[in-house]
Amino acid sequence: MPYSAEISRANPSCFIFLIDQSGSMADPFGSGESNRTKADSVGDAINRLLQNLVLKCAKEEGVRDFYHVGVIGYGVRVGSAFSGSLAGRELVPISEIANMPARIEERTRKEDDGAGGLIDRSIRLPIWFDPVANGGTPMCQALVQARSVLQGWLAQHPGCFPPIVINITDGEATDGDPNSAADDIRKLSSDDGDALLFNVHLSSHRASAIEFPDADTGLSDKFANLLFQMSSPLPAFMRSIAQQEGYKVSDGTRGFVFNADIVAVIKFLDIGTRPSNLR
Amino acid sequence: MPKAGTIEAEYEDAFWPNKPIHDQTKCARLAIADGAQESSFSKIWAIQLVRHFCRGQFDASLNLDALREIQRRWHATVRRRPLPWYAEEKILSGAFAAILGLVLEDQESCNGSQGQWHAVAIGDCCLVHMRGEQILARFPLDSSEAFTNRPHLLSSHPAHNNTVIEHLRTIEGGWVRDDSFYLMTDALACWFMREVEEGRRPWSILRDLDTTGGIKPFQHRQQKCAGPLACS
Repeated sequence: MPYSAEISRANPSCFIFLIDQSGSMADPFGSGESNRTKADSVGDAINRLLQNLVLKCAKEEGVRDFYHVGVIGYGVRVGSAFSGSLAGRELVPISEIANMPARIEERTRKEDDGAGGLIDRSIRLPIWFDPVANGGTPMCQALVQARSVLQGWLAQHPGCFPPIVINITDGEATDGDPNSAADDIRKLSSDDGDALLFNVHLSSHRASAIEFPDADTGLSDKFANLLFQMSSPLPAFMRSIAQQEGYKVSDGTRGFVFNADIVAVIKFLDIGTRPSNLR
Repeated sequence: MPKAGTIEAEYEDAFWPNKPIHDQTKCARLAIADGAQESSFSKIWAIQLVRHFCRGQFDASLNLDALREIQRRWHATVRRRPLPWYAEEKILSGAFAAILGLVLEDQESCNGSQGQWHAVAIGDCCLVHMRGEQILARFPLDSSEAFTNRPHLLSSHPAHNNTVIEHLRTIEGGWVRDDSFYLMTDALACWFMREVEEGRRPWSILRDLDTTGGIKPFQHRQQKCAGPLACS
């Protein structure tokens, strides 16, 4: 059965994040009612994705290397977007990412106190990436580079849970039609199934957020339609978890969100018992 | 036993008591717990829960106030030293564990030949009650298909236990001399039930195990099974 390989330190899987760092990301996000730009939203998205992936693998003694992670930025240049001591690295074990954020910010969060009230909790928020918006949108090049990295990974880890690529963009590729490069990624496979390509579309359009749709109806622009078409359907086990998390799913549900948070995808990963009462 | 791909120190199950029970005991309390892999400090939480049950502080009517005391103890234990950001964040989420507790009571005037039992469970640790070759009870799950990776578990964080009472399961019955009770964490219980469903006699394998030095020989035969054989 595909997508059933155990993810462990002995048989890790792989994530690649593609981050649009083009000049158009300096445009306002969503309806423009706030001062936030699409680049701000990308920064938030990638930081939250990495944070949640680290937490997924974290135990009291440290972070277990269930995943190796690459981050490819595309804008003025295409390449590893890690900074600091990870700069230039293609794939990094998740434990190294956990221990090497660019900085850690202190925030306060409201939390349920279990007795009907809310309390302020001080939390430490790791930041790996700051917003960047400069240059064109060479999405095709980024997809080709991701494919090359994944080919190397799959040669060394043929039995792994299939790699997942998450592309965060406003959709306006400037180096051609990304469909074919996306298709090439989805055709890569391990013994356990095809690689998965998910897309996050951040738009300047005033439109409601859409999460994990099963059809392109209701998508507000051609870029959203393109990214929906490029996105892999969620495998059955992910659909099952998504349903338990409250999402409406069908066989056609794809790994695509529009002006929304894709962090839920991390919850869809299966590395062991996850309590249903842990939100 | 630890799951495949993990080492002994990462084993997150717990059982109590950790010594054989004296034959003349009028009331025996036994428990197993299974810490969730996606939470941290689950082993500490699982140990606290089984001890809590065996001290009689947790029964068919779950006392959330009594639970708060061990939740406080868990927090005090895990916060003894400075932690990296991810460990701090995991503490805020709390630890989670499945627990199953069994109480065996001797019936007065029967001289240890029969009595009553009752059990309580939250999550997917299971009990099987057998008399000879006959299964009398499977609790709280009764088939291999009932196991999922998303059970409702007992948390060290009070906010996650708001609906835990709805997930508390209880059962009671009678026992006679030479009955067997198998207390199993999820993977072993799932294997046991699948074997039964396929017409095999998994209890004969478990009965033949030499548990005096742990159950490593069984681990080699059933890599996918996790959890201790707490008692029989």
